Amino acid sequence: MLPLRLRAALLSVLILVVFLLAWQGATAGFGGGGGGPATGMDPEYAKLMGLTATTGKSAMPSPVEVGRQLWAVLSDPFYDKGPNDKGLGIQLAFSLARVLIGYGIAVAVAIPLGFVIGMSPLMSRALDPFIQVLKPISPLAWMPLALYTIKDSGISAVFVIFICSVWPMLLNTAFGVASVRKEWLNVARTLEVGPLKRAFTIILPAAAPTILTGMRISIGIAWLVIVAAEMLVGGTGIGYFVWNEWNNLSITNVIIAILVIGVMGMMLDQILATVARLVTFPE
Amino acid sequence: MASKDTFRRFSRLFSGCACGRHRSHAEHDMAAARPAQDDAARYAGAVETAVVQALFPQAAHRRAFLKAIGGTGIAAALAPFLPLGAVTDAFAQGTGAIEKKDLKIGFIPITCATPIIMAHPLGFYSKHGLNVEVVKTAGWAVVRDKTINKEYDAAHMLSPMPIAISMGLGSNPIPFSVPAIENINGQAITLAMKHKDKRNPKDWKGFKLAIPFDYSMHNYLLRYYLAEHGVDPDADVQLRSVPPPEMVANLRADNIDGFLAPDNICQRAVYDGVGFIHILSKEIWDGHPCCSFTASQEFVTANPNTYAALLRAIIDASAYAQKPENRKGIAEAIAPANYLNAPPVVLEQVLTGTYADGLGNIKKDPDRVSFEPFPYESFAVWILTQMKRWGQVKGEVDYQGIAKKVFLATEAQKVMKEMGLNPPAATSKSFSVMGKPFDPAKPEEYVASFAIKRA
Amino acid sequence: MTQSYLSIEGIARRFQAPGGKGSTVFEDLWFSMNKGDFAAIIGHSGCGKTTVLNILAGLDAPDEGAVVMDGKAIEGPSLDRAVIFQSHALLPWKSVLGNVAYAVASRHRDWSRDRVRAHAERFIEVVGLKGAEHKKPAELSGGMKQRVGIARALSIEPKMLLMDEPFSALDALTRGTLQDEVRRICLETGQTVFMITHDVDEAIYLADRIVLMTNGPQACVAEIVDNPLPRDRRRLDLHKQPDFYAVRNHLIDFLVERSRTFKDGLPPDYDRRRPPVVRPAHLPPTPPDGVRAA
Repeated sequence: MLPLRLRAALLSVLILVVFLLAWQGATAGFGGGGGGPATGMDPEYAKLMGLTATTGKSAMPSPVEVGRQLWAVLSDPFYDKGPNDKGLGIQLAFSLARVLIGYGIAVAVAIPLGFVIGMSPLMSRALDPFIQVLKPISPLAWMPLALYTIKDSGISAVFVIFICSVWPMLLNTAFGVASVRKEWLNVARTLEVGPLKRAFTIILPAAAPTILTGMRISIGIAWLVIVAAEMLVGGTGIGYFVWNEWNNLSITNVIIAILVIGVMGMMLDQILATVARLVTFPE
Repeated sequence: MASKDTFRRFSRLFSGCACGRHRSHAEHDMAAARPAQDDAARYAGAVETAVVQALFPQAAHRRAFLKAIGGTGIAAALAPFLPLGAVTDAFAQGTGAIEKKDLKIGFIPITCATPIIMAHPLGFYSKHGLNVEVVKTAGWAVVRDKTINKEYDAAHMLSPMPIAISMGLGSNPIPFSVPAIENINGQAITLAMKHKDKRNPKDWKGFKLAIPFDYSMHNYLLRYYLAEHGVDPDADVQLRSVPPPEMVANLRADNIDGFLAPDNICQRAVYDGVGFIHILSKEIWDGHPCCSFTASQEFVTANPNTYAALLRAIIDASAYAQKPENRKGIAEAIAPANYLNAPPVVLEQVLTGTYADGLGNIKKDPDRVSFEPFPYESFAVWILTQMKRWGQVKGEVDYQGIAKKVFLATEAQKVMKEMGLNPPAATSKSFSVMGKPFDPAKPEEYVASFAIKRA
Repeated sequence: MTQSYLSIEGIARRFQAPGGKGSTVFEDLWFSMNKGDFAAIIGHSGCGKTTVLNILAGLDAPDEGAVVMDGKAIEGPSLDRAVIFQSHALLPWKSVLGNVAYAVASRHRDWSRDRVRAHAERFIEVVGLKGAEHKKPAELSGGMKQRVGIARALSIEPKMLLMDEPFSALDALTRGTLQDEVRRICLETGQTVFMITHDVDEAIYLADRIVLMTNGPQACVAEIVDNPLPRDRRRLDLHKQPDFYAVRNHLIDFLVERSRTFKDGLPPDYDRRRPPVVRPAHLPPTPPDGVRAA
């Protein structure tokens, strides 16, 4: 019997292959029929029409087409043909920069504030209603307000990332801080450790795994939000890329963007998962 | 695939070069030949590009020409035929120093924006001493907000939008102005293929129809068209604001029955085999304005020379775009991803007016879209009557006052005269919509004359 | 009583019940200890033993009364008093060395890193954990964890050691060895210790004086048992000591019966400030394996 890891990997590959074959089969199926629009079309007229209309080709690209286009896009990721047409690498860099700024600000706000809330039952109760109301608001709902008040679409996008990614971190930090074992705090108290040092040497490491969980949820949200925000305000970024290709009804490029977004999101998550492993302690 | 290759090569020719610092490959080559370029030389470069374009409207010829001269000495190669120096001087002239040279102009990727967009790759902005970046924008509300927020110096808007913004409909009242109309006509009613036998609007009860924005000519024209056929646009059908790129997808998904939308969306629906063109918008009102070139009043008053240069560039570009012989070249110039990001064959059909209607016929209508920049005040008055008619504005409306303030017809007259063009003598004109005459002097009576209205 | 090293003077602790009704855990509690004393406190759950210990540690404050140690009133936690927690309370993200060094560095804030480390290592060696310095608490057995807790408490060289049922979570064998070591260390260093325990044998083996608390609420010190066993007693032959059963029976008798009934029939001369001191010394002759009430 093969080890579990290897078997799982083989099964993953098998699922992928089955999926790709099914996809290829489904998209190829429409092409062969030649039913409907293709028959008896005036060649002059056909010249003005797209392949979907003339040959009945599926609007859905086949995996081979997507693969070919993916290769084309990935082989020149940093071209710059003006403000509205840049390589996927540049767009990703724009999105990442926005996410990192917005997320960075969210971390800088959520963790200290989470400490305050976690340590003070008064603050916790006082702020709770605001947090509960603000937390479930969709990024797209924030956008018009941000655009209107901040008056800068770039900063608005960063703001929306901030406001959407701040809550899981805030709540997790507050929860992590509030549930630090009393005995650890007592250890620090009997050792006459000052409040600031206590926060850094006891509460922070004790709450770190919970905080990191919040940070992982948040980076996922931030990455979700950036795509939506960039689709809305446009300009640059992977979200703009999706929108621009949607505008062109290029399903192939949209699929590529989806792949890239997924892989990038996974990488961001994995980075934080690695950090989480470093700060997690067995008890 | 063949068209895609052409598209690639052209995108290289028009929209950028290997180093990314120049607007076109030709310019890049010129820059390489003469590294110490001053502004005057840069204008010359732009003029050269434009002239090359004018001389060789056929893409293949242009390519061959550039190849033959090796891309280094266009001026030298053309010198015997054209007094390039004189042309450059004439282009670079202005009435005063330009206050702001680097501008950002927002656009929505539809063919209405053609003058604004093509002025970039074809060098009309640089010819008038401006360094313009044209920025593609995701939707009308975003264009509006970004212009209000001064992220854009000027923008492509639906012509009712600056009126609505100035009046504070859907936003705070901020005085906006329309120095020029971008295009007239150029829209169409597109229906899903399954409705190909329902050509009479009376059969459309219960339809879900999409329009790009509430404050759009599309909304007013569709409502007008429906009402003229006895269909109440509020009671008998559902009208939905849908961003143009989503329209084709929604039509394919059977979420909507049709739309009155800007091109290239209509032609794209045909191209993809999901819809057919029921009528062109010019069949409702031949010569209707659609989109406008818009700037805030503040920008116009603070930067009069910049504004004038911009207006000259747009008028210039419109004049160029209006010529049928240029249309094919323009289609290729604005097709790349940096601009419209659409198949050139679709844009060509829109701009040349030889198009597939989706029902198997090739139709020819050279006036499918026109680029006549003059912002008649009566256009604004008509828009206001429709806003009143459909309840977007209530109470007393200062038709003439608002029209004069927003649609800068007098300004346009002046600039066009300076450019040696022949502007219309009057700032207002009468016209008919679906055979019903409109007298801009009597707007209230016009509103009252409709049977179906909300006012 | 005036010159005691530690003196608990009439402390009371009350808790506010959610319904508005207060409950008094104990009140008017008096007790004192001399330097180098090893006192154990015995009583049923709920009598407030842990609360007393927390008040001594400064982690809790009495509602009435005061505790004075070495001439100064206790007003909060202090490095003068080290606590060995029942659950060992090690910081799981720190190694053995890290846990002990954290305490040492808190005690001696001006020490260099090397000096802190050397000091911590010395105490790790004292509790017999040399070689395990870099292990994390999760990699240690329960006994080893408590050794770290002891090393941590001892490393700050406190005036007083407070132990809250330190061995109750350990298996019998480990508990025995650890008791031996704690006794050895405390004797060697003359450490003053206050310990909570449930284990009668543990109290007899380790403590010089055993405080008996009645059941709560409103618990009080019933009496103080002066351990008659010789100072050089050893755990393994403890039961062979002539007074062992006398003490043991006295304690068990208290826990089984008198802790409950004591308050109902207070002796006429009972003074809360001076709880009676009893020394359940052998009623001679003690039968070798007889069981007798004290």
